[in-house]
Amino acid sequence: MKDAIVQGLQQAYQNMSQMIAQFLPRLVVMLVIVLTGVLVAYAFKYAARMILRLTKLDRLSEEAGASKVLRMAALPSMTEVLSRSVFWITLLGFILIGISVLNIAGLQEQIARLLRLLPEIVVAMLILFLGLVIANFLSRAVLLGSVNRGYGSAMLFSWSVRFIIWILAITMALDELSVARQTVLAAFSIVFGAFMLGLAIAFGFGGQDLARKFLERSLAEKKTDDSDELQPL
Amino acid sequence: MAPQEDKLWYKDAVIYQLHVRTFCDSDGNGVGDFRGLTNKLDYLQELGINAIWLLPFYPSPLRDDGYDIADYTSVNPTYGTIEDFKTFLNAAHARKIRVITELVVNHTSDQHPWFQEARSSRDNPKRDWYVWSDTDDKYKGVRIIFIDTEMSNWSWDPISKSYYWHRFFSHQPDLNYDNPAVKEAVWEVMKFWLDIGVDGFRLDAVPYLVEREGTSCENLPETHTVIKELRARLDDAYPGKMLLAEANMWPADVRDYFGQGDGDEFHMAFHFPLMPRMFMAVKLEDRKPIIEILEQTPQIPDKCQWCVFLRNHDELTLEMVTDIERDYMYDSFANDKTMRINLGIRRRLAPLLENDRRRIELLNGLLLSMPGTPIIYYGDEIGMGDNVYLGDRNGVRTPMQWNGGWNAGFSSSDPERLYSPLISNPVYGYQSVNVEAQRRTEHSLLSWTKSVIQTRNSFRVFSRGSIDFLSPSNHRVLAYVRQLGEEKVLVVNNLSSSAQAVELNLQSFKGHIPIEMFGRNLFPRIGELPYLLTLAPYQFFWFRLRRI
Amino acid sequence: MADESLLSEDLLRQLMSVGEADLLVAIPTYNNAGTIAQAIQSIEDSYQQNFVRDRVAILNVDGGSSDQTQQIIASLNGKKDSIRRGITSLRTVHRITTQYGRSPSQGSALKVVFSAADLLRVKACAVVSPATTSLDPAWAANLLRPAYRQDFAFVAPLYSRSKFQGLLARNLLYPMSRAVFGVRIREMYADEWGFSGRLASECGSQPMDEAVRARPEAWMAVNAICNGMKCSQSYLGPRTTVPSGGPDIVETIRQTVGNLFYCCDAFQDHWLDRNGTESVQTFGSDHELTPEDAPPRPDKSFELFRNGFQTLQDAVLKSILAKDTLAQLKQIAAMDIDKFDFPSELWVRVLYDFAAAYHRTAISRDHILQALVPLYRGQLFSFLADHAQSTPEEMEADTEALCLEFERQKPYLIERWKAKN
Repeated sequence: MKDAIVQGLQQAYQNMSQMIAQFLPRLVVMLVIVLTGVLVAYAFKYAARMILRLTKLDRLSEEAGASKVLRMAALPSMTEVLSRSVFWITLLGFILIGISVLNIAGLQEQIARLLRLLPEIVVAMLILFLGLVIANFLSRAVLLGSVNRGYGSAMLFSWSVRFIIWILAITMALDELSVARQTVLAAFSIVFGAFMLGLAIAFGFGGQDLARKFLERSLAEKKTDDSDELQPL
Repeated sequence: MAPQEDKLWYKDAVIYQLHVRTFCDSDGNGVGDFRGLTNKLDYLQELGINAIWLLPFYPSPLRDDGYDIADYTSVNPTYGTIEDFKTFLNAAHARKIRVITELVVNHTSDQHPWFQEARSSRDNPKRDWYVWSDTDDKYKGVRIIFIDTEMSNWSWDPISKSYYWHRFFSHQPDLNYDNPAVKEAVWEVMKFWLDIGVDGFRLDAVPYLVEREGTSCENLPETHTVIKELRARLDDAYPGKMLLAEANMWPADVRDYFGQGDGDEFHMAFHFPLMPRMFMAVKLEDRKPIIEILEQTPQIPDKCQWCVFLRNHDELTLEMVTDIERDYMYDSFANDKTMRINLGIRRRLAPLLENDRRRIELLNGLLLSMPGTPIIYYGDEIGMGDNVYLGDRNGVRTPMQWNGGWNAGFSSSDPERLYSPLISNPVYGYQSVNVEAQRRTEHSLLSWTKSVIQTRNSFRVFSRGSIDFLSPSNHRVLAYVRQLGEEKVLVVNNLSSSAQAVELNLQSFKGHIPIEMFGRNLFPRIGELPYLLTLAPYQFFWFRLRRI
Repeated sequence: MADESLLSEDLLRQLMSVGEADLLVAIPTYNNAGTIAQAIQSIEDSYQQNFVRDRVAILNVDGGSSDQTQQIIASLNGKKDSIRRGITSLRTVHRITTQYGRSPSQGSALKVVFSAADLLRVKACAVVSPATTSLDPAWAANLLRPAYRQDFAFVAPLYSRSKFQGLLARNLLYPMSRAVFGVRIREMYADEWGFSGRLASECGSQPMDEAVRARPEAWMAVNAICNGMKCSQSYLGPRTTVPSGGPDIVETIRQTVGNLFYCCDAFQDHWLDRNGTESVQTFGSDHELTPEDAPPRPDKSFELFRNGFQTLQDAVLKSILAKDTLAQLKQIAAMDIDKFDFPSELWVRVLYDFAAAYHRTAISRDHILQALVPLYRGQLFSFLADHAQSTPEEMEADTEALCLEFERQKPYLIERWKAKN
């Protein structure tokens, strides 16, 4: 029995060595490909940046108002965003090629699947991004509006709006990726519905006074505070 | 022999105003006379006028250009004799030209025998022919008319040691119309001239005939009574003769001088307030002044007629305008104070309009197409200039310019002997502005004036028709329709110095064809839509509207 | 060049009829049936009394009134001048009326006025508000005369105000625009003002941004200043208006401060290199201040300021204000209401930070303006507390001191303006 174990171990060691011997070159190739990819990606990024600067894309984007949106989302300029995108897309491509060289069974399929999913991933990311921007904008708008009207629960309103839009965006993104569609839809309906129900209850019962004050303020004169009686101009 | 009677002849008249002294000198003494005037009647006939209004030609010390009369029933010897006048009158009538003379009955010269007698003593039978007072307190507050020269309406007579009343110059004492003898004497004067054959009288200064304490001494009921009496006698004895009032007042006040009913006072009266407003409208490039004054002009009896004019022998009077308008007129037309006298401007038509032929034509077009009998002041038909450096209003009474030769063809005398210097500057001088030169040119102002008078005379609608003003939104265009029976004439005037487009609401004339009256060309038929016309600067159109 | 596409056929026809005018007074209307007749009469009287020889026109631009305003105007146009012995005026007074839109917009109204002024070749224009019940004939004349007779491009009004009137203008608009643009125009945001035909053409040829549409007069003034044209002020008198809702403080700040910030941005080339201020010629009396009882202490303002600041400081104000400014605000927001004081230096820094943030669009520009409102309330509270018993002279002195503070801190504005964040 001892011999069998030793033989087994020797066999396993041999197999592993063989596997490693077979795998290492592929790994090296993959690393070379990825490294090449990095270099190529940088090259493409600089080339893209140069071309975009020549076309004065930043100025066009400023005029179109797109730059404002990017600044609001704390992103760099349009030229920079695009050239960085070129970098990452190029690098991702090389990484995928490199991984395919590894020849890991099953991984090829997954990679192919990933590649098929890529457009949807991009769209989903876009939806999330837009959702973020919109949530940011609207929640801030609600916050400012509520603060200036003197509502006590300004933050609550603001966060509610942000939350709603986030949930909407996430749901839409997951739907786009066809990830557990029905579950996501059901969950969304439940969460959203519950939230709205909660608000309704709050307004209907717990928030009677608040609701009354809100309605009164909405229907009454615009005077929010005493100093509003003074003529500002 | 007077032309065939048409009792309303004055409505169709185109009157030519002149002073015999200024027109033509036949005997070389430097002053125009009746013989000279007679020689020029052909010219006047050719011009197309059919009535002459003669400024005073009576014996006079000439301290007010003949309006200070020393003898009502004679002719100043400088101008000729009564026989010369009769010859002239007959020659005029032969050319179908009527003659209107002056009847200056508010006052006489202080050299008149009546006044000489009246002042000789307080007991003289003619004493009461004038208005006397021991003090100058009577009729206090009455305005002075010749503000530049007179300080008061009373003057002291050293002979009879009392004051006498005069609304004009101090050498022109006012007659007293409270005295029946005065009225009788005036009637006799009128009869004298009417018997000779004169066709009408212009009564000078009629508002001032009668005075009453506590009034303005103008336009009193008693004055109207005097006029009614004279008119009644005139109609009775001399039907078809005409009385023309010189009453420089608002149209509503002048209305009274036409009398009641069919008109039992004057046949005609000058429309003084319209005249400065025609000049103003062209300067402002806005029809408003004309429209407003005509809207304030009351209806007058059918047999009566307004007299319209652009200029005359007096200053362009600015009595009947507001202070704002007067200032505007002074600034626009008489910036140099030498040009101003009393409350007016002593300039002729052409200089007032800066010798702009287009404006001269426009204003003449207005004169001849507005309702009323037009009066053309001698010399304005050739665009004569003036001399503001001559005293009083003599600058607009210079010799008529017949040709570019000796004394402008006015007189054979030495130039120094002329009653007034000729206008001789390069712009208006007789060398360039004269009848002979303009007669030879088809497109001269004289030729144009003849043609437009002829057109006017061809259509009675101008002299007797109604007037309806159109109100296009373009205020620089003055448009109106004259109508008499079926005859309709559309007059459109561009009062501005730039080309204008105007849309006229002629819906009530839908279907009519406008025929331009000078060229006789057809214009597009009037339809439903506003009628679009475009006019050059200062251009005017006369259209006959015919339904064909 | 006039934008003829703005002009309806009917308006074009009316302008054709006028031809050329020397003076134009525009009255933008929207539901002013109660006061429009009196306003038009006042302008006509002004023309009669002051410009009797000039070619004049009155232009009504209506924003789609749903009350009797347009009918009243139509009936006034049909009425003849009253006729009496003599003439009422030398020239026709032209009355032009047009509807520029279905809802009121001062900017759109002005665009039509510019076009009309250009086509009529007017030498001077004025805009008057039909809501001003104290409008009298002298007003239009005082606004027109400097532009007409003395070649001033912009004529701002000067009013006799009561102490507590116009505090936004006093504490923000006037001192800041004075410091930035270098010209001491007291009432740049007004409902009555005058301007030359040349300025009308200049402004008419430029697009009018949404940010300035509600208050185009201020934009016109800045245009004039930055184009080197002469500006002036003309005293009008006390100003009273028809009591109406009017926009609330948020909207007012949006319209005025937004306008000011926009102009700072659009005309930065003009003011970044300039220092100092110069006064403008004043016609008539200077700005007047009449005593007034202090209003009750607006405690609510303070509350709104404090709560507003606390709510917004991290979410919004951090992106707008410099660290120091924020820190100082935090300190004063923690003060007791009875001891509260909003120092001028801090107020100036706050505004300059806001202007710079607006310039680089740190966040949405509209949000920047809204975020200013609670801070303004705080400043207002402090101001009212300080001046409850002040005399008009003391208040004026304080305003002058505030103006000088704005001027003193202009380098700070420039620094913040040029910074990236």
